[in-house]
Amino acid sequence: MKRVFQHPTTAANPTGRTYWRTMGELNDTPDFRDFLSREFPAGAAEMETDGLSRRNFLQLMGASMALAGFGLSGCRRPEAHLVPFTKAAEWQIPGRRLLYATSMPRRVGAMPLVASTTDGRPIKNEGNPLHPASNGASDGFAQASILDLYDPDRSRGLLFGGKLADKAKFTEWIKALRTEAAADRGASLAFLVGESHSPTRERMREEVAKQFPSLTWAVYEALQAENERAATEASFGSKTVKVVPRFAKADCILALDCDFLHVEDFGLEPSRDFSARRRVEKPTDTMNRLYVVENRFTLTGGQSDHRLRCPASQVGAMAMALARAIQTATGNAGVADALGAISTNEAQALEKSLPWINECAKDLVAHNGTALVVVGPYQPAWVHALAFAINGALGSYGKTLAVMQTQARPAESIVTLAEKIKAGTIKTLFISGSNPAYDAPSDLGFAELLKKVPVVVHLGSHADETAALAKWHVPAAHFLEAWGDDRSTDGTYVAVQPMILPLHGGISEIELLAHLAGQDAVEGPALVKETFKAQAKNPADEAKAWNDFLRDGFLAGSAALDASSAFASGSAKAFIQANYKVEPPPSESALEVALIPDYSVHDGRYANNGWLQEMPDPITKLTWDNAALMSMATAKKLKIRTSEQAEGLEGAKTRTKEYQPRDGQGTGVWGDMIEITVDGRKIKAAAMISPGHADNCISIALGYGRTHAGKVGKDKGFNAYPLRTTKAMYFLAGAKAVKTADEAYLLATTQQYFNMEGRALVRELPLETYRANAGFDHENKSFVQKFGMDGHIPPGVSLYPNPPLTASQQWGMSIDLNTCTGCNACVVACQGENNIPIVGKEQVRRGRVMQWIRLDRYYSSENADDADPQVVMQPVTCHHCENAPCETVCPVNATIHTEEGLNAMAYNRCIGTRYCANNCPYKVRRFNYFDYNERPLDKLRLGPFAEKGMAETLKLSKNPNVTVRMRGVMEKCTFCVQRIEEAKIAQLRVAKGSNNTKVPTDTIKTACQQVCPTESIVFGDIHDPESRVSKLKALDRDYKMLEYLFVKPRLSYLARLRNPNMAMPGAKDIGQTSLKDMHHQDKHDEPAKH
Amino acid sequence: MANIFPKWTNKLPLRVLLGAAVTVTAIAGGMTYYFTPKYTRAGYMPTQPIPFSHAIHAGQLALDCRYCHSFVEQAAHSNVPATQTCMNCHSQIKQNSPRLATVRDSYTTGKPIEWIQIHEAPDYVYFNHSAHVNRGVSCVECHGRVDEMAVVWHDQPHSMSWCLDCHRAPENALRPVQYVTKLSWKPQDIGREQKELGTELKAAWNVNPPVTCVACHR
Repeated sequence: MKRVFQHPTTAANPTGRTYWRTMGELNDTPDFRDFLSREFPAGAAEMETDGLSRRNFLQLMGASMALAGFGLSGCRRPEAHLVPFTKAAEWQIPGRRLLYATSMPRRVGAMPLVASTTDGRPIKNEGNPLHPASNGASDGFAQASILDLYDPDRSRGLLFGGKLADKAKFTEWIKALRTEAAADRGASLAFLVGESHSPTRERMREEVAKQFPSLTWAVYEALQAENERAATEASFGSKTVKVVPRFAKADCILALDCDFLHVEDFGLEPSRDFSARRRVEKPTDTMNRLYVVENRFTLTGGQSDHRLRCPASQVGAMAMALARAIQTATGNAGVADALGAISTNEAQALEKSLPWINECAKDLVAHNGTALVVVGPYQPAWVHALAFAINGALGSYGKTLAVMQTQARPAESIVTLAEKIKAGTIKTLFISGSNPAYDAPSDLGFAELLKKVPVVVHLGSHADETAALAKWHVPAAHFLEAWGDDRSTDGTYVAVQPMILPLHGGISEIELLAHLAGQDAVEGPALVKETFKAQAKNPADEAKAWNDFLRDGFLAGSAALDASSAFASGSAKAFIQANYKVEPPPSESALEVALIPDYSVHDGRYANNGWLQEMPDPITKLTWDNAALMSMATAKKLKIRTSEQAEGLEGAKTRTKEYQPRDGQGTGVWGDMIEITVDGRKIKAAAMISPGHADNCISIALGYGRTHAGKVGKDKGFNAYPLRTTKAMYFLAGAKAVKTADEAYLLATTQQYFNMEGRALVRELPLETYRANAGFDHENKSFVQKFGMDGHIPPGVSLYPNPPLTASQQWGMSIDLNTCTGCNACVVACQGENNIPIVGKEQVRRGRVMQWIRLDRYYSSENADDADPQVVMQPVTCHHCENAPCETVCPVNATIHTEEGLNAMAYNRCIGTRYCANNCPYKVRRFNYFDYNERPLDKLRLGPFAEKGMAETLKLSKNPNVTVRMRGVMEKCTFCVQRIEEAKIAQLRVAKGSNNTKVPTDTIKTACQQVCPTESIVFGDIHDPESRVSKLKALDRDYKMLEYLFVKPRLSYLARLRNPNMAMPGAKDIGQTSLKDMHHQDKHDEPAKH
Repeated sequence: MANIFPKWTNKLPLRVLLGAAVTVTAIAGGMTYYFTPKYTRAGYMPTQPIPFSHAIHAGQLALDCRYCHSFVEQAAHSNVPATQTCMNCHSQIKQNSPRLATVRDSYTTGKPIEWIQIHEAPDYVYFNHSAHVNRGVSCVECHGRVDEMAVVWHDQPHSMSWCLDCHRAPENALRPVQYVTKLSWKPQDIGREQKELGTELKAAWNVNPPVTCVACHR
């Protein structure tokens, strides 16, 4: 059959919603067109001149080759040695992985993990599937913690006054301190520590406090849930309870500035439970509905069915309006009480949003008992208290909200500590797990205060900003190096087991405290065991209980219990009335600045991790930097220019000459440098347009602009902490932003290149439309499978013979776009599993990012003026096409097909023509333009003249089962072939002399699948009808990307569903984009029928 | 009559000879480097730090290979035994032999013995012992009659084509699993011919050795 390609032109339907990935694309800026017209983006194919011209380079290369030639012929392989143990170590089998349960201490509760070690080196973390609060998943930070362990910039010795000191000297000093402190009962002794849920740390604190009862113990985190805690205490009358949302039971959710899908802030359960309720496999399946009110796009906003843009400071006003609407509808006394006699000034902000709020309230009321309102941790306490009241009216307690017991941890605030330092009472200050010189509120002037303290002792993994001001710097052990314990987010008592001896002689926090308590000889395991006895309530068989605890990684049945406290509307009302405050809405002259947690470095603690720095922000796709995010309208009003504006200001055509980056640097993404002023405090940052951002607001991520972080994190992005004060920690009113004189800043995003030209790559539809069109037609095609080109292009015929897919097991993958939140965990997991190097900001700008799996983030909207786009996330990795276009163009057969349907790469054969990458319709192939593994990233262009070699510690971090690729080699996703082969060989060991060689169903998990908190990625044998992947591929939501190309991809997607409430304003546009494309194409199908 | 050959042709034979000499030397050099067994290390027989004789231990004493190479059935690597393994016997047998001084030193000081590696797969080759020995491929197929070697040498070439020869025709190497470590075993011992026995085992065990790149290169 002749294939007639009648592509309807986009211009024929100017009103249709379109998918787009950048503002530049949508506006069709000259920069963007320039970008597309290049074979590779922004000079990716050119050799640039960083002090070395191409000609020069070739001459020098020639010379070094000639030199190398002299030595060639004489050498055979050098003599190598096999060095066995002298005494065999228990459980150690050379080359085999050993798994241990442990957990990663985190601010909101430990993440249960299983660490795998090979020959004594921890190389990968996975979630602990036995743990009740884990489904065997983890997140990007847990994955990247491996790189933290082997970070070459970690401090390597005890420092006294900046010089290496002897450990004995420190021990002596501690002894002296103990006598000194005993004299004043510890009044001159203070501690500043990070938040921890470790019972052993609490026990050690008590031990120290017993001996020095007057000591100051302050806990500080740059991002804290103190507002929520205060509201809980006021509303429930107890310090030891915590309100936990149960997303698994919620049908209708309203998130008020609450990014509950951000794992660092909320743990894994919300992601897992929320997504489980969006897993639709048949038309009768139900799906939850998510309303989001937020100031900028977050992961949660991307998943929303209805989203309201609103400045962070106005979220309280929205909550108030919502409370009114709910009170009117339910007549609930609790809400009425809370509202009391408050007079509000929110009318201005609410004007346009009121219909949205009212309809949302109706829907919540209609879902009484299955509704849930959650408030973000950075909203003021009174908003939390109000939400507690609203949830009471919605009947959420005991259903979608649980009130759980938690532990009281007496601690002072950093403000109290600062006052004591100012008063001069503190003589010795211990700082651990905290970096106040960098992240303390700026009005405290903590860096200056530290200079007033005679002796500051800093326990930390890096010589950071605080270490630079400390007298003693003690290297801290990584959590994979030290004994410890913790509580996971559900309160379960978990073990922290070391996998390796401290690489640089670090000690843990509990060991330091033990030292201070005079328990010199006691080591980590003994400290934890002591706590364990109490936690396990003195078990009969202690040794067995302890071994079980270590084996499983947690103490069964130790999860937090339901608390008896109930919501007390009276005290909540008083609390709300006392604290109620809504700022006037931000305006052009008084902007709002929101300080937000970063998806890559959080509050700055992960700043020296290359995997995380290079991980694109899930929304902005920005790497290596943060930026001042704002809406297009705000940028225009403030006359701030960025690469994404179609037109310059006052009608001037795009950028002027002075904004042109250096010659040959290409164009790419840039923004004006702006100066943000709040109450006289100033910072500079680059501007970036973020679609869906609230107007007259700027949000800037914390955690960048570190001055003492290490080679990777130093001077990346802009430090927003100077704007922060104890009075306004999260959003600051009355800000001004002006662009600084003709200064533009180049940003590295992964957003523009690999563009797919707006085909129906990502498909979404409303739930009702899906239900109405469920099933398959007479051609066995489902509704979703006929979107875009696939609706009218007849099936293809291949000119090439199909590869012989003869093996009994055939691998394939399915990704559910409906549950994928876009959290990036897969990107980092893949990077760790497959030894993928980082390439640095400059290389990212050239489109040379190496990550094998990427997350495409699409905005969809009616037109360019629509400030309220929707977001769809789509993970893209190698599709392992059966008719792979890359294979037919390889001149050296370096990429070939296996009998099991994998599109394999033989690195040794690859000569780097890059034809395969050019011919790949999915743009998933990655090329090693430089020796990223062996050369320093800032000296890549010096080639052989730069120092060679990987840091010794980084060598230890590599996965021994995957080749480390060199310069000039193409690479891409292998479906984790090392895991497949390992599983097959494991089965051969079982089979021995039998024919039982089939790998059991669903035993192989790829790295991206294993880490996924929402189980969106499923891999398996597509020939096995019992496998999960086969069942998913049989669903009517299953579609293949670019199916009409007839490349027969092994990766397919499940279309995204939205669940709009048709009564909501703008509901008819929700999830309609793909549909409109299709209807529009149907019309154009007519002439093609012949 | 004019000269048919211009004057420069006088030197032609010399130049041809010279050219030929260079070419022949280059080819000979290339052949010596790449095409002799030395390239694949076949025949490599270094002197080990301890004069350990496989001929005595595996041959005369008939110790099973797996007594020392204990993880060969479980791991990709076939481990070299820990000093402890040697001392299991040698703490009682030949306790004072000067030839075992290094072993005893290692055991008491904890300093490992540095054996010289003979068989070495490149880093990009992921060979797995357990996949072979569990499925009826004997040690002897790759390592030769180690039980007859007083000093171990590299017996087979271990080149990629050599690997593929067997992966394409596994019936030439398969034997019942229980005889895998019996290096002297012959199919005739049980009254069979290799080809016929191998073909039978291949079918019965569902043996499908992979021949795609990713089987060994990842």
